Amino acid sequence: MDVEKSKDVTIQVRNVSKSFRIYFDKGHMLKEKLLFANRNKYETRKVLDDISFDIYKGEAVGLIGINGCGKSTALKLLTKIIYPDTGIINVKGRVSSLLELGAGFHPDLSGKENIYINASIFGLKKYEIDDKLDEIIEFSELGECINNPVRTYSSGMYMRLAFSVAINVQADILLVDEILAVGDAGFQSKCLQKIAEIKKQGTTIVLVSHSMNQIEKVCDRCIWINNSRIAAVGETNDVTQKYIEYIEETERKKLAARHINTSETFNDIDMKEESKIRLLSVKLLDINDNEKKIWGIGERIAIKLDFASSIDTTANLRFEIMRADGILAYADIYDNCGRGYLLKKENHFCFTIKVLNFLAGKFFVSIYAENGIGGLIGSLTPFAEFDIIDDSSRYGVAKIDCECIMN
Amino acid sequence: MDIKEIYAYREMIFSLVRRDLKGKYKNSLIGFMWTFLNPLFQLLIYTFAFSVVMPINVENYYMHLFVALIPWIFFSACLTGGARAVTDQQEMVKKIYFPREVLPISFATSQFVNMLLSFLVIFVVLLLSGIGINLQAIVWLPIVFLIQYVLALGITMACSAISVYYRDMEQIFGILSLGLMYACPVVYSMDSVPEEFKGIIRLNPMTAIIEAYRDILYYKNVPNMSTLMNALVWATAALIIGCAIFDWLQRRFVEEF
Repeated sequence: MDVEKSKDVTIQVRNVSKSFRIYFDKGHMLKEKLLFANRNKYETRKVLDDISFDIYKGEAVGLIGINGCGKSTALKLLTKIIYPDTGIINVKGRVSSLLELGAGFHPDLSGKENIYINASIFGLKKYEIDDKLDEIIEFSELGECINNPVRTYSSGMYMRLAFSVAINVQADILLVDEILAVGDAGFQSKCLQKIAEIKKQGTTIVLVSHSMNQIEKVCDRCIWINNSRIAAVGETNDVTQKYIEYIEETERKKLAARHINTSETFNDIDMKEESKIRLLSVKLLDINDNEKKIWGIGERIAIKLDFASSIDTTANLRFEIMRADGILAYADIYDNCGRGYLLKKENHFCFTIKVLNFLAGKFFVSIYAENGIGGLIGSLTPFAEFDIIDDSSRYGVAKIDCECIMN
Repeated sequence: MDIKEIYAYREMIFSLVRRDLKGKYKNSLIGFMWTFLNPLFQLLIYTFAFSVVMPINVENYYMHLFVALIPWIFFSACLTGGARAVTDQQEMVKKIYFPREVLPISFATSQFVNMLLSFLVIFVVLLLSGIGINLQAIVWLPIVFLIQYVLALGITMACSAISVYYRDMEQIFGILSLGLMYACPVVYSMDSVPEEFKGIIRLNPMTAIIEAYRDILYYKNVPNMSTLMNALVWATAALIIGCAIFDWLQRRFVEEF
């Protein structure tokens, strides 16, 4: 700790608390506020409770925690989008956030004109933008399209342009919220590379993510927020380890509770509040269309999934298969060749694992419906589980072709 | 309110003004002409009403009206449209930090630029109609512009902040704007107001400004100093109150959306 004290504190958070008013039935009109005074009842929910931490210049810090734990609120407090009820926050230097990509974009103006608007919102002067312009255009990979109106862009192009501006703003502090899950794999790795580069230049980075993988790749230190308080602070690996153990424990409890109620489907999955999708039914079918729970290596699983969506929207689907010990075994985004899937009231999907190459273990399947720029529409976590058994001597994560020959 | 910080974000103000002016007419048939056509149509309608149907006995009535109508449209846009200056940008406000004052400032500024463009038409009409321009009077015009801009800024600050909390204020501001227009010598002349009502009319913050414009452009006189002082006091008061209201309300903007 003594070594850290000698470093410059870039972000100082002292005894910060923040509550939100949750209105039961909120009226936005003067008329409503006057006539229905009793409708303005609200309860206060404490989102952050006496939080204190320091972030030092040039370090990358991860904020982790389950949904609704207050980590996004913490990030918003750092950007001064909202103000704390009590406590002090000191932030030194220019802050750029990847919270909102494409702020202020006007669809009828060209990509280039929008770069100027967007960058100016981050507080850049015109000459600074002039200097950065070529770099931004090059990073966005838009080429000649930069002179076309933004409304002609695909969601991927839009995202790339917005990301390029945000990341090329020479900020002292970069705040990233769950954004690296967007774009194709190539662009994603480019972004991670860019973040590493920015970090090397001495920029302080605060990253909020659910992907422990990303957190471990990028962050030196980690802050785990749970139930409005800091649960752990320290070296990334130590904290993520504790967090994963905690998640596993709660997942296990949830599943145990569910098994008592219903063993067939997960109809009453306690959805996160904001989820706009709801499970209707799920079936795991083998190659002969028989339902099974226990599988062998190399089999084919067709996951027939029906779910309801409370809004009509286009979405990309992210499938995740998590092993019971918290290892993310597989994840991928399906975006219907860039067009996204049009979610309706009822949606029928079939997700097929053509060859099951995991080794023995218990696995949970989740999906996340996301909009084009990475915002979560809804999730089913987890909506199905399967067991793989294997009586051979091998163990680990996946089946790979190996042999051992003595010459 | 942190003026230094707002100054640091000046590029954002310019960008938003440019976006507003460019974006508004980008996909419309006659584009920027709308800036001129809207006031011209209003001029036509009021001129018909007040010089043909119910004649008001003023020489060159259309010009008498025109030099007041253009500034009035600017004021009225800030009062009613200003209500949306923050709420329309709520996605931006929710997700990103910048001094919130930037939004009302750029709204008022882009309306101001619109008015300046309309003044080009006023000059053209003044020259064509033979009324002409008095150079000694016209040098006072920038000062009146400035005073009106300060007033408009104060009004926009207050309206935009209050509307975040009460969304139907825009309707109320609309009615208020209509009422204020007739409580201000826009369509009539101050001389025709009965003596006992003059005091009330002068309480309208726009009265002194309209009179100054009319002095300079219609009567081709150097404006009355007491009129200018009157206007300046109103404008400064509006700006101080507007800023105070905005500053007080802006901390909880995000939670109100």
